[in-house]
Amino acid sequence: MLHAGALGRLRLLAMINLEGATLSSGELAPGAWGEGFVDRRHPHTYVHELLLSADDLLGGLDGPGRASITLGKGFAPFGTDDPMIRPPLRYPVNHHLAQILERAVAIAALRRGPLLVELGLFNGDEPERPGQWPRVGGRFGDSWSGRLTAAPMTGLELQASHAQVHSPEHRPGAGTDQRKWSLSGRWTRAVGRYPVYGLIEWARTSEARGFFVFSSLLAEGAWTAGQHRLHYRFERTTRPEEERVSPFRSLRPHLENSILGTTRWTIHTLGYEVAAVESSAFGIRPLAELSYGRIAKVGGGIFNVEQLYGGNDFWSLSLGARISAGGGLHRMGRYGAASGAERDAMEHH
Amino acid sequence: MNASRHSSIAGIALALLTACGGGDDGGGPVDPPPPPPPSPPAPSLEVVAGGNNVPDRHSSDLWVHGGYAYTGTWGGLSRNGNPGDLVNIWALTTSGAPELVDSVKVPSIGTVSDVEVSDDGALLMFSAERDANEGLYLYSLADPRSPALLDRELVPGGLHTATFSRIGGQLYAFAARNPPDPALMIFDAGNPASLEVVAEVPIPPFYGIHDTYVRDGLAFVFAWDTGVIIYDVGNGIRGGSPASPEEVSRLVTAAGEAPSPAVHNGWWFHNPNTGERRYLFIGQEGPGTIGSRASGDLHVVDVSDLANPRQVASLRIAGAGAHNFWMDEEAEILYAAFYNAGVVALDVSGTLSGDLTSRVIGQVAPGGAGNTYTWGVQLAGGSLYASDMLSGLWQLRLE
Repeated sequence: MLHAGALGRLRLLAMINLEGATLSSGELAPGAWGEGFVDRRHPHTYVHELLLSADDLLGGLDGPGRASITLGKGFAPFGTDDPMIRPPLRYPVNHHLAQILERAVAIAALRRGPLLVELGLFNGDEPERPGQWPRVGGRFGDSWSGRLTAAPMTGLELQASHAQVHSPEHRPGAGTDQRKWSLSGRWTRAVGRYPVYGLIEWARTSEARGFFVFSSLLAEGAWTAGQHRLHYRFERTTRPEEERVSPFRSLRPHLENSILGTTRWTIHTLGYEVAAVESSAFGIRPLAELSYGRIAKVGGGIFNVEQLYGGNDFWSLSLGARISAGGGLHRMGRYGAASGAERDAMEHH
Repeated sequence: MNASRHSSIAGIALALLTACGGGDDGGGPVDPPPPPPPSPPAPSLEVVAGGNNVPDRHSSDLWVHGGYAYTGTWGGLSRNGNPGDLVNIWALTTSGAPELVDSVKVPSIGTVSDVEVSDDGALLMFSAERDANEGLYLYSLADPRSPALLDRELVPGGLHTATFSRIGGQLYAFAARNPPDPALMIFDAGNPASLEVVAEVPIPPFYGIHDTYVRDGLAFVFAWDTGVIIYDVGNGIRGGSPASPEEVSRLVTAAGEAPSPAVHNGWWFHNPNTGERRYLFIGQEGPGTIGSRASGDLHVVDVSDLANPRQVASLRIAGAGAHNFWMDEEAEILYAAFYNAGVVALDVSGTLSGDLTSRVIGQVAPGGAGNTYTWGVQLAGGSLYASDMLSGLWQLRLE
């Protein structure tokens, strides 16, 4: 990750992601889907973010306001934070309902007081492999999104956003379009002596002129006491069941616009993390996370949950450690005037 | 059957009413008019036999020839753990009922996507998708109960459909290669023991080519959002040949309520009663949830001027979507598989325009609600056969 400030108002941000090398076949995660993967979380592209922001464009002309333009590759202004920077390790099923990532973006942002407005143009196509770049030629500008964020009090942030995405799953552009909505409330402030994080979000994607509708309700929180952190997530999300060409891959490129059915994933995830080694330069945080989920078929179709999975519920246990050098991850997807005070503390990492 | 099927019924009724109305001579009490004559019974599609006869796999396409039928299997989702690696062989009883007698199992294919028998009954051809051995297969039907492999051509990406046509006396196979490099592939099948590719015509990848209908040396390529493309492959109007197809024209049909034109299949209607070759029927495959609901209209394109085709009519079945067609050209009836709506019979006599809903003369979901998702139909030996993904092979009849 690189943040570099230059010429006063220009800021370069780069995030390299090596998941394409470390988990090229994805990470086992029942319920996860997207970018041709199913029941495995897909690896992100090597260049996860590469953006240049021109911030505070109007200087004092807009009074206390702050306007910015951001160009590059990154998140479209839609939905909630990338799961990578949130406390639970497990990726939520709703990743592709609640975020739009790894696109060529042009974003205008205006912050004034407690309100922030972002508008973005981008290419609709999502990547199909880690080394792939957005299809700028012919696709840039075929999709757009807008996000309104309000901070009515310290620690509380409310968000509403909408996006229209053209053919996200077919790069040449013949796929179905999506209309997406997201609402969320986010809390990041200590309660008493203990830092508390909370997020509640609702997301909905309507595809193929409403023929398919997928939705999600997610609530998660984390409570920190000294070196120790507990987190919990509840999620209920529907996803499409596509034709698979192997147990963990769906057919790409598409040949038609049919699915096998829709499933609803209800998952509880509980985790514990301890800061075993923590300094300003280096950290090791062992963690354990337990998930229990139930899978249900919603509506018709030939998809059969029990036939594929041998049951309709699952347990999953993850053990690991977060190892960090330098500062923490920035809040991905918030650029220029949309980036908060935390930005200033994270330069030059 | 002719153009006036609808108007003639109304006309007869009107004539009878007029005749019975009589003149009033002003004399005594007038007898109440007699009730109108009963309407002739509306045609209807009925199940005759078969069905629920392929429980271990999902069925796909069908072909009926002589006393036998052949059906493919689909493996987009395994059924009872089985992929779509079988061609089922059915003997037809004297009444035409299908009885499963054998099957051909092909290793390392996931779906048998299209099935056809040559016009002389000598060859069984099918296309295959979704595994290492995807491609085109030719079998001898010297013993129609026991097809014998003659040749196969493996095609990476697989073939979605394949159809025979004789051009200049020579037998060819026209096949639809799947993305990522979709193309119309034309095989010389003159020596069925040695298939030979004679042409590959690239098709734009939006999602490429789904089906081809060849007649009179013209190949109608159904190319999803690119629409229908008409090639001269031996007709002569553009100097094309199977080895060197020449485009005649193309048309993108209406998307309707679906997100895109999704042009999937078609049938060029040669009307033996009028000599017209005016209408091309096109199936639109809209979004669907396989096994329960679908979308996509049946479109009618006027191709009387092949260089300037134009859409003139359409049919929408609410909550269902069109798939493969067959025609009783003499009776001027189009039979269309409509997935979850089963089979629809459509009167296509006379001039077609606008909404064709009033021309539906029969409809049946052979497996019943929740057990019908019909892939294709074929008229043979006086019966209509339907291959249903969920409920297998059916014998139907239009009463």
